[in-house]
Amino acid sequence: MQIHLSRSDERPLYVQIMDGVRRGLVRGTLRPEDPLPSVRDLASELRVNPRTVSQAYAELERDGVVQVRHGKGTFVAPEVRPDQRERPRLAKQVARRALADASRNGLVLEELLEALREIGERESPGDDTKEDGR
Amino acid sequence: MTATTTSALPVNLGDGPFAVSTAGLVKRYGSSTALNGVDLQLPEHAVYVLVGPNGAGKSTLLRTLMGLVRRHAGDVNVLGADPGLEGGHVRGRIGYVPEDHRFGYSWLTVGQLLEHHAVYYPSWDPAYARRLTEMYDVDPDKKCHTLSKGQSRRVQLILALAHRPPLLLLDEPTDGLDHVVRDATLSILSEHLADSPTTVLISTHRVYEVEPLVDHVGVLSDGRLLGQLPRGDLRGSLLRYSADVPERWSLPKEIGGRVVNRRGRAREIEWTVWGDRDEVTRGLSQAGATVREVASLSVDEAAIALFSGEEAGS
Repeated sequence: MQIHLSRSDERPLYVQIMDGVRRGLVRGTLRPEDPLPSVRDLASELRVNPRTVSQAYAELERDGVVQVRHGKGTFVAPEVRPDQRERPRLAKQVARRALADASRNGLVLEELLEALREIGERESPGDDTKEDGR
Repeated sequence: MTATTTSALPVNLGDGPFAVSTAGLVKRYGSSTALNGVDLQLPEHAVYVLVGPNGAGKSTLLRTLMGLVRRHAGDVNVLGADPGLEGGHVRGRIGYVPEDHRFGYSWLTVGQLLEHHAVYYPSWDPAYARRLTEMYDVDPDKKCHTLSKGQSRRVQLILALAHRPPLLLLDEPTDGLDHVVRDATLSILSEHLADSPTTVLISTHRVYEVEPLVDHVGVLSDGRLLGQLPRGDLRGSLLRYSADVPERWSLPKEIGGRVVNRRGRAREIEWTVWGDRDEVTRGLSQAGATVREVASLSVDEAAIALFSGEEAGS
C-alpha cells in the first residue's frame, strides 16, 4: 500500500489517507485481512500528526473498511468487497473533482462528458502529463 | 506591510483545558509594543503553529512563556504555573528550541552539554538521547562553538526532545536544516507525538514545512492575534471564492463584512471570505455572480490573505 499526500490537494490529510487505503483496495494491492501500518509508523512515514492517521483509521473503521484488533493493530476488514462499494465511491470522487475543475473553467457537464468519451477512447490511461490538473 | 484587517476570524478556542494560556499579555521594548494584549490559548496536546511576519512578536511571546522576558501586563499560565514567578520550575518542564543558534555553554563539547542536561532534567531519557544523536548524526566530541547553524539546530532539538517534556516551544525549528534533515526532523516529531503526549507550539515562517503536523493555527501581526482556531475550521470556513460578475456589480453587504482579502479584475473576482461555505456561495449567486470555484487555503495562503487584506471589502 502506497499513500501519497499532496500539498496542493484540496482534501484534508485524513481524507487523503482514507482514500489511499481505498485506492489500494480497488487496485487489489490491499486485500481483506491485510495489516495496515501502525499509527506511529505511518505518521512518521508521511510526516503527519499521528492523530491524523488515527482519525483516518477511525473513520475507515466506522465505514467497515478496517478493523482495529486490540494489541495487534489495524487490519483490512475480512468482509470488504471493494467492487461493490469502494469502486463506485472512488469513481464518484474522481467525477466530483473533474466536475469542479470543469466548473472552474466555465465548462458544463455535457462538454465534460463528451470530452471524457472522446479522450477515453483514444488515449492511454495514466497519461496525465498533458494536463497538470490545475 | 500593515494589517488593517478587522479580525474576521475567531480568536477564542473555548474552555480548554489549555496547557498554556495568556490573557491581555503586553510586552514593550522602550516605546515599541511587541505584544499588545495577546490572549493565547494552547489546548492540551495540540500542535499549534504561530504564523506572522517578521517583528510580529512571535519570538517574544515564546520567550515570555519561558519566563525569559518580563511582561508589562496580563496573565500567563504555563502548565499551571506563572513563568514570571516560577521561571526555573516552568523551564524544567519545557523543551525549548530558541531562535538563536548559539549556546550558553559554547566551550563544552556536545557530549558534555548532553550530560549537563541529563542532570538538570529528572525526566531525561538517555536511550532516547542516544538514538536522537545517532539519527541526527551529531558528533559528541565536537565543541559547541564550532558547530554550524544546522548542527546547532540538531543539538538544540535533541536537548528539547530527550527529556520528553509535556510542552515543546519551538522557535523556527527547521531554520538552518537542509531538506533531508528537515524531513527527518518532521518524522522524529511525528514519532515523538505518538510516543509521548505533548503540547507543541511552533513559531515559523516556513509554515508549509510543518503544516502536516499542525492542528491549531494562530496568526500574530503587530503584537496582536488576528485569528486563533483549529486547522480544520480554517480549512472549512476561510475559503477563496472565484466568481464571474456582471457589469456594475457590488458585493452583498452581509458578505462584505467577512471578506478578508479581495483580488481580481472587472468581471472576474476572487474573495477570501470567512463564513459558511453554502451561505456565502448562495449570497454571491443571489446577487448575480457565477461562482466558478470555492477553494480552501493552505495555512500560508490564509496568513498571506490576512496580512495583505488592506483592500478587503471593496
